[in-house]
Amino acid sequence: MIFNSLTFIVFFVIVLALHNGPFSWRQKKINLLVASYLFYAAWNPPFVILLWVSTVVDWWAAQWMVRSKRERTRKAWMLISVVVNLGMLGYFKYGDFLMQNFVTVMGSIGVIYQPPPWDIVLPVGISFYTFATLSYTLDVYLRRSKPAGSFLNYALFVTFFPHLVAGPIMRPTELVPQFDEPRRATAHQLFFGLALLTLGLFQKVVIADGFLAPVVEAVYDAQGKVPGMLDSWTATLAFAGQIFCDFAGYSTSAIGVALCLGFAMPDNFRFPYGAVGFSDFWRRWHITLSSWLRDYLYIPLGGNRHGTARTYAALMGTMLLGGLWHGANWTFVVWGGLHGLYLSAERWLRSRFAGFKPGAITLFSLAILTFVLINVTWVFFRAKTFGEAGTILTGMAGLAAKPDPLIAAGPMIIALTIVAAIFGTHWAMRETTLEAVIERTPSVVLGSIWTLMLFAVVIEQGQGSAFIYFAF
Amino acid sequence: MRLSISPSDPAATRHEGALAKGLRLTASDRPGVAQPVPVRDIPARPWVRMGAIAFCIVTLLLCAWEWNARTNIGLRAGDLDDSPQSWAEQRRIASTAPIAIVGDSRILFDTDLDRFEQLTGIRPVQVSHVGTNARPLLEHFANDPKFKGLLIVGLADTMYFGMPVIGLGGEAVHNFHKNGKPSQLTGLWIDRFLQRHIAFLDSEYRLSTQVKQVDTGWRHGADSPYEDVWKLAEVSDGRQYFMWDRIETDPYLRGHARHAWDGFKGPPVPPRLSEWVIARSAEAVRRIRARGGDVVFVRPPSSSQLRVNEEQRIPRVRGWDRLLKGTSAVGVHIDDLAQAQHLILPEWSHLTRRCATVFTDAYVRRLAEQTSRIKLRPDAPPPLNSKDCVAPPSRQVAAR
Repeated sequence: MIFNSLTFIVFFVIVLALHNGPFSWRQKKINLLVASYLFYAAWNPPFVILLWVSTVVDWWAAQWMVRSKRERTRKAWMLISVVVNLGMLGYFKYGDFLMQNFVTVMGSIGVIYQPPPWDIVLPVGISFYTFATLSYTLDVYLRRSKPAGSFLNYALFVTFFPHLVAGPIMRPTELVPQFDEPRRATAHQLFFGLALLTLGLFQKVVIADGFLAPVVEAVYDAQGKVPGMLDSWTATLAFAGQIFCDFAGYSTSAIGVALCLGFAMPDNFRFPYGAVGFSDFWRRWHITLSSWLRDYLYIPLGGNRHGTARTYAALMGTMLLGGLWHGANWTFVVWGGLHGLYLSAERWLRSRFAGFKPGAITLFSLAILTFVLINVTWVFFRAKTFGEAGTILTGMAGLAAKPDPLIAAGPMIIALTIVAAIFGTHWAMRETTLEAVIERTPSVVLGSIWTLMLFAVVIEQGQGSAFIYFAF
Repeated sequence: MRLSISPSDPAATRHEGALAKGLRLTASDRPGVAQPVPVRDIPARPWVRMGAIAFCIVTLLLCAWEWNARTNIGLRAGDLDDSPQSWAEQRRIASTAPIAIVGDSRILFDTDLDRFEQLTGIRPVQVSHVGTNARPLLEHFANDPKFKGLLIVGLADTMYFGMPVIGLGGEAVHNFHKNGKPSQLTGLWIDRFLQRHIAFLDSEYRLSTQVKQVDTGWRHGADSPYEDVWKLAEVSDGRQYFMWDRIETDPYLRGHARHAWDGFKGPPVPPRLSEWVIARSAEAVRRIRARGGDVVFVRPPSSSQLRVNEEQRIPRVRGWDRLLKGTSAVGVHIDDLAQAQHLILPEWSHLTRRCATVFTDAYVRRLAEQTSRIKLRPDAPPPLNSKDCVAPPSRQVAAR
């Protein structure tokens, strides 16, 4: 089930009614658990089994870790949890990718092997809930937290529908304690949650799907056409806007939905296109993933505690795997690798020019440079093949021979205006939060914006298209 | 007043460290530790009042939007959008149906399912698709072991014999199993319920589409939204397509639709391609017959303005005639239906609503002569002819 669907509206009204009904807190949690399974099963019922496996294995792994007195036993239970979770993720998400690469490698040494087709459907959101549930056993193993007090609370943490399929990737310590005591949104929380849900749907349905996606598709999906500089840059900038509005739209909707039920979810985006530098970008973009990778990959790989070379190696390793997390394709690995290179270069520059204090104009110029370089990485994120990415990059460099005009003037003007507005907004709000800005905005203005966004969402109708990150 | 949904003291948890007003820490600020319960600030605004007013104004705006859709645009409640889920739903039904129809938009627009049922007592399942080559649809049925009925394949010559890509129908086939998920089915039911009462819920007139259609070709060489196919049809239950009345009455929309077809111009279809298509079709027909089913072909009309280009690209003798011979199948070509000549094709490619009934009447009667799988009912209505395109045919208009 997706937030931008009619089914979800009906589902959410029922869940809200039950959550505010005359039931015990335990019964309400059971209601939420059942609703979350329904939310997931509405996409593909058999894959609920994967959720159960993940839930049960990690619950018992954590229990046995706590009961074990020997360090080796604790480690064994941690490894069981990691192997089961990553095993399922690997099988469903990377099985075909590994097989294709195996066939290529064998072919390169003269061994022709034709495997049967890999007709495995990717369970929606598996990357997200795998990371969420892994953080539970890893936190217990690392003694950062205690196991959940009840199986019900833990199962609800894994499956809680607002974050289940596309994040924010929650840690058990962020959510499980919220199930300890009864929660019900106040009228203010409920309506603010609905306002956030409207904002998220506006970003997804109107901006990402309605106005930006067609511009991106006109270039990236134009088979046999050669885009020039204007079209390549416009499409890539439009994709930067689309991927942000799509994913941040989902996170904002998820936060709003949880708020309507009385639960708090963490920020996942903090105006990322206002970033100055790439470490700043990753502190603002998909925060719950970047912090997960930092805590459970970068730091265990050594982080910055073992010398310069090891630090750069850990950085590159983390970003390459982070790229692969996004999709089973080498283009995603290159995307992650480029970010790793950017972060490494920035780290070197910061050490080389440690005392450098940029002025306002320099800071803004650096923000633009950061945005431009991030757009280069988006080419590999959006393109399905390296050939396609090469065509776009050639166009962006102005080196395309006999380019075809691909984007009509009207959609191009609209897309560039939207992207400029996104960049401007992010720059203006990089030192604040949405809530702080809302608090100092007159109610009339806020109400008008809310009205227009809601009206636009309804008349845009939407095609019920899935969020891009569902596929990750 | 500031509210926090944190269970602990808001002042102690909202802003960790010496942060500027309005900032709060996130996981990116707390490396290597267990992340605490997040805190969400609720801005001190009159949320309930703002929400209630916003809801009321949006309701008023939607009423105005609905009025505009009905009076100025000419949309009607009950015009159900087609969708991949709707196609998939009919495709599932078609597996066990006695008669199913596949093809491109011509057989989709030009078949009146009510008339078909009045004539034969059987309501065929409509599985045709706009913007497609019918062959992937034919092959989809050939690969369906459950299908043992009669498959009517409607085709436009250039699309069937010369379309190098599989088109939207091929995509529908490719995504068939992805379009039957529980949430999609419930979404389809709710959507249909709403569309029976609300006119503006039409995918061809969503906000972004209307905004983009302002561009009438401002950038030379680029395909503008003006080059796209705009709304041509109204759709009712069972994917019954009929031409939208405004195409008949509005010269601008009619002219645009003609422009979008670009005369069906293009290079001649290479003989190698058409022969390959015929061979693939023959194999599909053979497989359907092998399990007791059968296939017939129908070639709906196109206007003389398109026909001349279609004939140049793939002459009837090299396409249609060879197809019937290669598949050993029977077929009905518009040229051979005397009572269905001079039908009205406002945008040159599809029939008007009334003419669709006349054409259906003609081709079903001809098929009944050619195959034992279609039998006319004893109480079948009398035949129609092109005059019925102008005057309402006696029965079915009243019935609709």
